[in-house]
Amino acid sequence: MVDAPIFIEEATEEIREQVGDDRALIALSGGVDSSVAAALAYEAIGDRLTPVYVDTGLMRKGETAQIRETFDYMESLRVVEAQGRFLDALSGVTDPEEKRKVIGEQFIREFETVATEVEASWLVQGTIYPDRIESEGNIKSHHNVGGLPDVVDFDGIVEPVRDLYKDEVRDVARELGLDELVAERMPFPGPGLAVRIVGEVTEEKVEVARESCHVVEEELEEYEPWQAFAAVIGKATGVKGDNRVHGWVVAVRSVESRDGMTARAQELDWQTLQRIQSRITGQLPNVARVVYDVTHKPPATIEYE
Amino acid sequence: MTRIVVVDNHGQFTHLEGRALRDVGVDTDIVDNETPPEEVDADGVVLSGGPDMDRIGHSADYLDGDVPVLGICLGMQLMAKSLGGATASGDYGGYADVTVDILDDEDPLVGSLAPETRVWASHADEVVEVPEGFTRTAKSDVCGVEAMSDPDRGLFGVQWHPEVAHTERGQEVFENFVALCE
Repeated sequence: MVDAPIFIEEATEEIREQVGDDRALIALSGGVDSSVAAALAYEAIGDRLTPVYVDTGLMRKGETAQIRETFDYMESLRVVEAQGRFLDALSGVTDPEEKRKVIGEQFIREFETVATEVEASWLVQGTIYPDRIESEGNIKSHHNVGGLPDVVDFDGIVEPVRDLYKDEVRDVARELGLDELVAERMPFPGPGLAVRIVGEVTEEKVEVARESCHVVEEELEEYEPWQAFAAVIGKATGVKGDNRVHGWVVAVRSVESRDGMTARAQELDWQTLQRIQSRITGQLPNVARVVYDVTHKPPATIEYE
Repeated sequence: MTRIVVVDNHGQFTHLEGRALRDVGVDTDIVDNETPPEEVDADGVVLSGGPDMDRIGHSADYLDGDVPVLGICLGMQLMAKSLGGATASGDYGGYADVTVDILDDEDPLVGSLAPETRVWASHADEVVEVPEGFTRTAKSDVCGVEAMSDPDRGLFGVQWHPEVAHTERGQEVFENFVALCE
């Protein structure tokens, strides 16, 4: 395991050396990795760091408000409202890799605007070790890796947590005194709810995914999953109040893991599963059924796309 | 300090093998499999898993060295193939949770796990014939050769992944291997 206090000292020193007197930019996703990278960089260079949070419209319920609150102490924080632009860009895109690419490119466009404005010459990223493995092994492309640097002429990229695993990043987050919620927060993928929607991303499906994820996170808190969420995986027939519904199928996934490299589907009790099912189908008129995913990783991955 | 290198066959878990060795307390490094053995100074070698038998670089050359070698997943399969054994596509892929029966409780690598151990696996192919000099040391319902050993030559293989968190006594396998290298 990483020695958090020593790591923090070395990482901030490294950032200070790399960035010198220049300005730097970081993309905040709200997840623990970029939060830790941002906190380290802010500690190192203060307001010469501009943290940028892009609201893609693919975020979890209440996420944007929480980001504003957690990073309130960084005066340079920028929140970009880009919901409409992301939905437009994703219109008609169904291939999972293409989806990630479209989202990555839109991110780049949003950052480019801010980067030019603040004249940042360094890019800080919260890339962690498994992101690099999955990208190198061609299992899934990771939006943290590549992309932005080709467009904006940065002097270089700073990746302070590049050799850490998620559990180690959490240790560092706790040591940094980052609010408990961020430190213990479930991993959330860069492309957001888009990878929890199989097929085209539409406003309707995003809403179903967001509300369902919220229900799952609330109901499964006591199981302390590494990650728990819901995904919209297709359509099926149902009957609600004597009416046929051709509605969405929502898959519930809850796994335990140390580092995300392998995962075990959690054993949940029937009552809990039924409560989740009832809340999701009860609150969302366009959901026809709820299923529970029992597959470990491998052979499945944790997220759907 | 004992030094054990991991030869990377482009496996997803290669870095976890490095981490497991680091956690046992030995000096470790991950080296590209295109590196010839004569450029590597180590007391032991781990041949990592990987996706493809055609991308194993110089991995097989490490089998002729004079330090112990632990082959993991594809690392064990390439060991079998290079030394006269055989591999084939299994009837039933081994993924995630597998219960492994230890067949030789005297084996220096996996014997301490006897009688059985729960492991995490990820493979479509498997060893179907162990090379001369080797003993089959473990099996499971989904794979006939879960582990094999030739202690005289210091060559050991496991089909499962002792480096991942979900393998119950994975660390112990690395501890046993480190003891063989010291």
